[in-house]
Amino acid sequence: MIELFGVTKRFGEEVAVDDISLRVAKGELCALVGTSGCGKSTTLRMINRLIEHTEGEIHLDGQPVRTFDEVALRRRIGYVIQNTGLFPHWTVARNIGLVPRLLKWPRQRVRERVEELMVLLGLPMAEFAGKYPHQLSGGQAQRVGVARALAADPEILLMDEPFGALDPITRESLQLELLDLQARLHKTIVFVTHDMDEALRLADRLVVMRQGRIVQQGSPVELLHDPVDDFVASLLGGQSRGLKEAALTRVRDRMLPLGPRLLAHERVAVDAPLSQALSLMLWHRVDRLTVVDDNDIPIGELSLRRLVGSKA
Amino acid sequence: MDRARPFPNVVLIVLMLGGAVAWLTLPAISVAPNRIVQGTPQHAVAALGWGPTLLVLMPMLAMAVLAWRPTPRRLPGVLALVIVLLIAIPLWLSGVAASMEPTARLGIGSALWCLLFIGLLALIELRSRLALSRPLGWALLVPVVLVWWGCLTQWLAPLALYREYQGRSDQFYAALAQHLMLVGAAVSAAIVLGAGLALAMRRHSRLRRAGFGVLNVLQTIPSIALFGLLLAPLAWLSARFDWLADLGVSGIGWAPAWLALLGYSLLPMVRNIFVALDEVDPAVIESARGMGMSRRQVFLQVRLPLALPVVLEGVRITTVQAIGLTAVAALIGAGGLGTFVFQGLGQAAMDLVLLGALPIIALALIADALLSALTDVLRQGGTT
Repeated sequence: MIELFGVTKRFGEEVAVDDISLRVAKGELCALVGTSGCGKSTTLRMINRLIEHTEGEIHLDGQPVRTFDEVALRRRIGYVIQNTGLFPHWTVARNIGLVPRLLKWPRQRVRERVEELMVLLGLPMAEFAGKYPHQLSGGQAQRVGVARALAADPEILLMDEPFGALDPITRESLQLELLDLQARLHKTIVFVTHDMDEALRLADRLVVMRQGRIVQQGSPVELLHDPVDDFVASLLGGQSRGLKEAALTRVRDRMLPLGPRLLAHERVAVDAPLSQALSLMLWHRVDRLTVVDDNDIPIGELSLRRLVGSKA
Repeated sequence: MDRARPFPNVVLIVLMLGGAVAWLTLPAISVAPNRIVQGTPQHAVAALGWGPTLLVLMPMLAMAVLAWRPTPRRLPGVLALVIVLLIAIPLWLSGVAASMEPTARLGIGSALWCLLFIGLLALIELRSRLALSRPLGWALLVPVVLVWWGCLTQWLAPLALYREYQGRSDQFYAALAQHLMLVGAAVSAAIVLGAGLALAMRRHSRLRRAGFGVLNVLQTIPSIALFGLLLAPLAWLSARFDWLADLGVSGIGWAPAWLALLGYSLLPMVRNIFVALDEVDPAVIESARGMGMSRRQVFLQVRLPLALPVVLEGVRITTVQAIGLTAVAALIGAGGLGTFVFQGLGQAAMDLVLLGALPIIALALIADALLSALTDVLRQGGTT
């Protein structure tokens, strides 16, 4: 659990982070969102004390971070940055094993852990262990970055725009992998991004920052429904907010069981987001879809009326 | 581009035709009855007749022809011919030496210097065309060096350069050792001092501006002037402090030479170490700290290894520069190979000058090659 109480950071005269309070529960993925220069990265880096806060307190599991030795503190916290920060002169395996070696794990255990993580992140040992970072694609390099952050099994993971430099397709697949990992590992994650779609897709809790202050925080759906001001509303997509929300809701939540009518010709997967169902309706110019399960077997139907949640 | 008919390699053609013309028109050797008398220049044909002259000429003409259509298959042939040319030269000289009076002295003429130079240029050109690795490039020179060595010891006794060497072989090795010691002492002191300065400059930005200012000024002082400037203060110091005099410190000799060399070496060294340490990707340093490496670990395991290739580049530049500058140090009695150069200049004995100058050039080339190779090895960690 991470708690910030009235934390302020000043660089000389300039206030980078202004009196923010925040609580990230254990196992929660909290996304800090905002335009560049809003203080989100600074906030993140105050948690592992790469930047020291000026005022207020930051607690990890109830203990102020200032009471920890800063090096020991950082070894307990996974850290992933945009440009991976992999050591170019070390192989992939050595990069991943960094923190366990710093913690003086026995050699055998480090090796096993590295192998375990490479399997977890889909990097075949035989192919990647001996490669150097410059031989990897952007997506592979960031997988190694995530594996390195997870190496000593930290409870907390800090991610500073980790997928910001990747192409859209790689970014999306890594986002899905992160969700998948999080479902299994239940880390406490603070995730900085300026990409609202990424934040909406990943976050349990969204924190919108502006000029060093927290403007609004809450679950993605709460923010979409009830933005506190025009800034948050426009950050969330302004008038296309409906589509963003539709992307967060599954077909499963709106479908009806199969009725007596003939099956509609066009099909949609039960786990697809509503936005995809809507897109299919627009594309095929129909107002009804057949919902199918993983094996393509019809299990329900979805009408445009149900999709938009119309009361009538 | 038509792959079967590549463009003519103009570089090789010009080199070889130029070499052929030089070989036929410039004096190949000079012969003097003794050391005092100025030698009389002789053309190749006059010295040994047409047969052996053509033997040297043929490889050059053959290369020019092959270079007209330099297909990938022909280039190794050209390379072999360059080696043949460089081997043919000492053999030809041996032929000349065999027909000479025992007391006469054989000087190498401008035509032969041209051929040696052209041969080396052709080697460099071919090495890059064929993308040969550095070690392989050097290995190619092994047969050439061996043949030269064999000819020198067996038949080339009249060669004036060799005579000068034989007359002073003890002095020669002593001078070589002195030269290397001076360079080694100056460069290693520059590494230690330069590293310390660079580290201090990284901490204090004021020191950085002042430091680079002073070093830049130092670099612009002509070397002889700097040697001269050190004369008086060092002489005064050694007169004042006996223990300094006991160490061998005086206004002339190794002490001012070493100090001046150190002064010149500091700028390139400090600049390279500073830039090398400063240019390590900040994201890498940031992640190293974020992962929980201590300051010491970040420096020793990340910053330093990533900076090392650029640091070595500085060592290379400094070493090559110091090898050249040490030659001038002979003027203030520091010894070294420069002694022969200045003695030779004084006696108008060009062969004696060469006895000093050629090894200096060779040392610089060898140091450059070794340190470049070392840099390459260190870069192979994946820093592109």
